Amino acid sequence: MSKLLKICLCASLALFVGCSDSGKKVTRIDTNSVTDLSGAWNDTDSRLVAEEMINDCLGRPWYDNMIQNKGGAVPTVVIGKVANKSHEHINIETFIKDMERTLINSGRVDFVANAQERAELRNELASQAGNATADTQKQAGQEIGADLMLTGTITSIVDQEGGDQVVYYQVDLELTDIQSHRKVWIGDKKIKKFVSKNGVKL
Amino acid sequence: MSIKRLLFFALSLSILAGCANKSMTRYEELAEPLEKKGIDATIEKMKKEQDDLYGSNSEFLYYFDLGCLNHYKRNFKESAENFAKAEQIYEDLYTKSVTNEAAAIVTNDNTRPYRARPFELLLMYEYQILNYLAMMDIDGAMVEVRRSQIAMNSLYQKDQKKVNDNGLLRYLSAMVYELDGSPDEAAISYINTVKAYKEGKLQVPGEVLEFVTEGLRSADRENDLVALGTQIPAMTPKATAIRESGQEIVVIGYAGHSPILGELYMSGTFVSGGVMNLYYKDGETGERKTFTLVAPPVSGAGTGESFHVGFALPEIKKLPNKVDHFEVSLDGSPRIRPEKVMAVDEELKQNMADEKSSRVSRTIIRVVLRTIAAQKAKQAMKTDNILLNLLTSIGTDVAQSQIEQADLRIGLFMPHSLHMTRIPVSVGQHKVVVTANGAAGNTVEIFEFDKLQVAKGQKVFLIIPSIR
Repeated sequence: MSKLLKICLCASLALFVGCSDSGKKVTRIDTNSVTDLSGAWNDTDSRLVAEEMINDCLGRPWYDNMIQNKGGAVPTVVIGKVANKSHEHINIETFIKDMERTLINSGRVDFVANAQERAELRNELASQAGNATADTQKQAGQEIGADLMLTGTITSIVDQEGGDQVVYYQVDLELTDIQSHRKVWIGDKKIKKFVSKNGVKL
Repeated sequence: MSIKRLLFFALSLSILAGCANKSMTRYEELAEPLEKKGIDATIEKMKKEQDDLYGSNSEFLYYFDLGCLNHYKRNFKESAENFAKAEQIYEDLYTKSVTNEAAAIVTNDNTRPYRARPFELLLMYEYQILNYLAMMDIDGAMVEVRRSQIAMNSLYQKDQKKVNDNGLLRYLSAMVYELDGSPDEAAISYINTVKAYKEGKLQVPGEVLEFVTEGLRSADRENDLVALGTQIPAMTPKATAIRESGQEIVVIGYAGHSPILGELYMSGTFVSGGVMNLYYKDGETGERKTFTLVAPPVSGAGTGESFHVGFALPEIKKLPNKVDHFEVSLDGSPRIRPEKVMAVDEELKQNMADEKSSRVSRTIIRVVLRTIAAQKAKQAMKTDNILLNLLTSIGTDVAQSQIEQADLRIGLFMPHSLHMTRIPVSVGQHKVVVTANGAAGNTVEIFEFDKLQVAKGQKVFLIIPSIR
């Protein structure tokens, strides 16, 4: 092959590569599988942290003490604010739902709607008062008051050099007695990820 | 030369011509709808013609431009989503493709994916912080503050000598830290605000300095400001009033249109024993000049053999700005003029100066390699037919000059400058009138906010886009 052909071939190939689009392939995977693509906080972190922390919370001594104080009745919990103090836009709603699910499925606590949901329910109740039939109308003032509030923060520390990055997440949760403001349980869960990016590729 | 070779040569040329410089047409294609039909029509055109206007190598710019336009349109959620995509692309582009880099040496820099200029990246974080503040999402704004700090650290790790900081970004970060109830972090950001302004071209704006002083005074860190050699204002009435009452209206104005990039092109074609043709195209005005001289024969070169050298470099192209500054009136009170807190034109100038040496060296390497390759190609195609030799020689030169293109990619919808003022207000309803004025003081646009409700401790952010 002559030099001209080589030059033309190189230029054409380079341009074809530069201008080409990558194909797309979709595969369904198990929702419980551990997947790490970007290194960012993901569904696996949310689910595992929620399960581990709630199970830890319910297995501590405060639980038996409270059951005893309530004459055998299970405590009622409400989830308050979980502040995102990390460097990522984390979907806190997913994390809260994961915690709610673990709490309810444990069967060891009663669970009431959070402030936002309560406001919606009260609107519905008010609407029923003027519109629903008397026998199906629900009464105001019958809500169950929560004994405990679960609040928390997600923080992160990022250390990076070139294409290497260490991301450290810490999730802190606190369970506080609404009556006495006494903290009955504090738990944390740490996740450390090493994310490495290559400087070059073909 | 065989027919096969000729066909192959023609095919290569058609491919090269097919990948024309989109940056040259993007501004012309989008400036008109923005001026005549507004933001919605521009967004629609961008989405419809994404491939033609941007292509896969300028994906960052596509989302960056969409983020800017949605921000001006006050579609804050959509703006934040687009900027997040742009940021993801920027991060993914950390890995450089050897193929793309090699192609850029053979052809031009437009075959490389666009990686964002540092000031564009920092402007993106400013817009993101403002997006979340406008949505009253302090947690979201805090996330952007943290991400911007990581990005700035990373930029400095890459190159200590370049300016990778921004006074306005630091100032907005301090505001967000205060809103988040973190006065210590706010104090650090205030100090960094002054440092960043000193590092850049713009002086610390008076109102910014007032808030910096107030913030550092309340954190008992006023001495840090003295250590930076800053003249501390004796009185900080506005900042004190806002600190005491909590509520304020923050006006952010985007004035004019940032400069774009034009192509400076210079080439010379020398035909042995024929003519010498010199061509120059000005990057800013687009003015073209050609000179043709009689060329003497070169010893060793055959009759009709041509030599061609051409190079293209990006050059700042200023656009006429209808809007120069703003005036704000609260509840019919005398107008106040928000100060310039960021000069995008200066940022671009600084960036072009920072990248000049790498840009010029890349161009030299590219031009030298391509010129050698072209001359070798001409030798390879040489036949006994003088006319055919001349044709293939000219054809190679034309192909060579077609391939040479400057990388003119830049965010298209950045303002010329950003202006800001903070107004302490009482709780209740207010009327705010903002006029966008030209340099001569003529009114270009009026923005009215009739029933602006301000709750106790609330900070209301007004985004005033006048990208004209």
